[in-house]
Amino acid sequence: MSARRIVILGNGVAGATCALDLRARDDRAEITVISDESDYFFSRTALMYALMDKLPRAGLEPYERRVWERQRITRVRGRVTDLDAERKQLTLADGTTRAYDALVIATGARPRALSVPGIERVRSGVTSFVSLSDLDACESLVATSERAVVVGGGLIGVELVECLVHHGVKTTFVVREPWCWPAGLGAEEGAMVADHLRKHGVDLRFERTVASVEPDASGRVSAVTLSSGERVACEMFGVCVGVEPNVAWLRACKSVPEIDGAIVVDDRLRTSIESVWAAGDCAAVRAGTALVHEPIWYTAKRHGAFVARQLSGSSERYTAPVFKNSAKFFELEYTAVGQCDPRAHKSALWTHKSLPIAARLFHDGATLWGFSALGSRWDTTMIGRWVEERRPLDWARARLREAQFDPEFSRMRVETSAEAWR
Amino acid sequence: MKRKGAAGWLAHDVTHRGVTAWALALAILGFYVVLYWGDNAQGINPFDRVAWALHIGRHGQSGAKWTLYGALYTAAVTLGGIAFLRRYGHNRYQVVRTIVVIVVQATLAFSVPLMMKMAGHPEHYFSYLWPLKMYYFEPGFIRSNPAPLVLWSFIGSLVIAPVLAVIYGKRWYCSWVCGCGGLANTAGDSFRHLSDKSEKAWRFERVSIYATLIITVVTTALVLASAFVQGAHPQLDLWSEKFRTNYGLIVSSLLSGIIGVAAYPIGGTRVWCRYFCPMAAVLGLFQRAGRFRIRVKEDQCISCGMCSEHCEMGIDVRAYAQANESFTRASCVGCGMCSEVCPRGVLTLENAHTKAPQEQLVQLRLKK
Repeated sequence: MSARRIVILGNGVAGATCALDLRARDDRAEITVISDESDYFFSRTALMYALMDKLPRAGLEPYERRVWERQRITRVRGRVTDLDAERKQLTLADGTTRAYDALVIATGARPRALSVPGIERVRSGVTSFVSLSDLDACESLVATSERAVVVGGGLIGVELVECLVHHGVKTTFVVREPWCWPAGLGAEEGAMVADHLRKHGVDLRFERTVASVEPDASGRVSAVTLSSGERVACEMFGVCVGVEPNVAWLRACKSVPEIDGAIVVDDRLRTSIESVWAAGDCAAVRAGTALVHEPIWYTAKRHGAFVARQLSGSSERYTAPVFKNSAKFFELEYTAVGQCDPRAHKSALWTHKSLPIAARLFHDGATLWGFSALGSRWDTTMIGRWVEERRPLDWARARLREAQFDPEFSRMRVETSAEAWR
Repeated sequence: MKRKGAAGWLAHDVTHRGVTAWALALAILGFYVVLYWGDNAQGINPFDRVAWALHIGRHGQSGAKWTLYGALYTAAVTLGGIAFLRRYGHNRYQVVRTIVVIVVQATLAFSVPLMMKMAGHPEHYFSYLWPLKMYYFEPGFIRSNPAPLVLWSFIGSLVIAPVLAVIYGKRWYCSWVCGCGGLANTAGDSFRHLSDKSEKAWRFERVSIYATLIITVVTTALVLASAFVQGAHPQLDLWSEKFRTNYGLIVSSLLSGIIGVAAYPIGGTRVWCRYFCPMAAVLGLFQRAGRFRIRVKEDQCISCGMCSEHCEMGIDVRAYAQANESFTRASCVGCGMCSEVCPRGVLTLENAHTKAPQEQLVQLRLKK
């Protein structure tokens, strides 16, 4: 019997993890990774450090290049235009076809476009910040811009703003919500982040959206008008209003798996088409009647590893472990463990008396549901277990000092009395 | 991308092996060549004259260049240290470490030996030990120095240094006390990312550093043996002298001084420490056997690579972090910069292997 042909679409963290983990379990399989973005897996999360000259381009790649040759993982640069499930075959944009025995779709997400009046007339100066080509675009735009507007108060928006500030570009940051990232930050933490951004010279505009965009005679963006009517002149306009699953290409295919915003997968990450899996930002896992879509790095990596195990014979069912996420707002690090939506759970907050440090315990009055922290480091493995074991709130609060993870000599004194947590 | 303007160009060029980086490396190289071998027939070095002009040392005294060199070195560590503190002042580990490095350099490595010399004693560098300073095990040193100094040299080298390395890792020395590390972590800090992270470099490092250690041990043994037999074996004396001279030239002057510092803008700040230093080799072995490690927080690495990029010892920290592997590498000097630059706070330096979380949970359950 000839070796199994396994084709992985996308060489982001889900696809690359899947390929490497599969090779570790299956020495014979023919593994091919197809990507139309880059020749080698790179860390999307590090784009900002390349833009700030803190990393060289080669530093973006988490593995030495010869790893792929040594692991016998064939890399193909190209765009897939058709999927034929009956013949188990893919067609690429250049007309070539490629047969598979198992297919893993890990095409990730793409930046959501902004549709506001005027944007169709702008030919340059507008960019997002999620791909290598965005990095190229940002590098040339930063070099030729004095002022910039960034819209979207999420993590990518903050990262782009940090880069612009680093390069001395005067930046107006337009955020629809009353503070940055309310899905993760409470109002108090939001205020700390806003203070921090302002200290770095960011011109913050909360509860504003972009009403229209104007190009100059050459087609380069020249001004952005906000919902307040204010007109901000700029030469660069960063659009960071979130990402959406990269699945539009599938709709033009002969065989289309079930899609509900993202590709719907079952609890073994199988799509509705036989022998086709999906992993990462492009996939949503059906859990009962709900669809769980977590477009974050950690989940994509876990999906990739899970599919690799499936392809090497495992029949385990996918269960998401305790949710963990992290972010950084300029110098302020943020960590979350468990269920940390300030809008959905009760919480108790402790803030440092002088530094921008906050920690929040999410609870139902008795047990711990989640923990989030800003400006300090925590052992999320330990706290994750507390959440998993439904530890009493008081019990967890009393033990918080054990879970501090800041560098030596840098651990601040955390108040553990109930009165200090409001 | 580099920052705008001429200042941006220069900052990038000098730290990314550009023209100015090579010019700087050549200038440092030239400085050391003149310092070591620039004496004229009367034994006067151009830097002696500079020193005299600055009223350092007595006019006409030939060793004044070394006092000048010590002052320059200390100034570089202090000024570089202040710049480093301004940048990383929010991290108390970095603050404490840097202050200790500056103070040790200004006292034990500069003013204390200087005062000894001024008082007519032979100078002694308390912060340097065998095998880094081979002379402190040589008969010439043992015979001409008071017992407490000799005792310090032996106990420090053979007992204190290894014990501290087992408890705290080699960092207590390499990034807290040692002058080579001191300069690297202060004035040299902008060049730390230039270290070679490849697997090839790691393979070379493992050969070169232990080879140097073996040469150091052999040379010391020869010198001691030749002194012990007191001329009974002229052949031994000859070999011992040959080894000693070549060691002094190749290891002490060429590798630790010239290559070590001149390579900053090209190969990063720890070329000497990583590939050749015999002290680092010994301490690294004790570190491997000891308690120090870098702990990796599970499933939180985003593979950005800032840790690897900032590792002056060329360790690919990301490889461990993205695989959830806590680790101890012999070469790690414990500077703590991987932990500092990690945007997700995934890494921490620790001296004690804490128990696995499962064990902790068992204990927690028992306590409940």
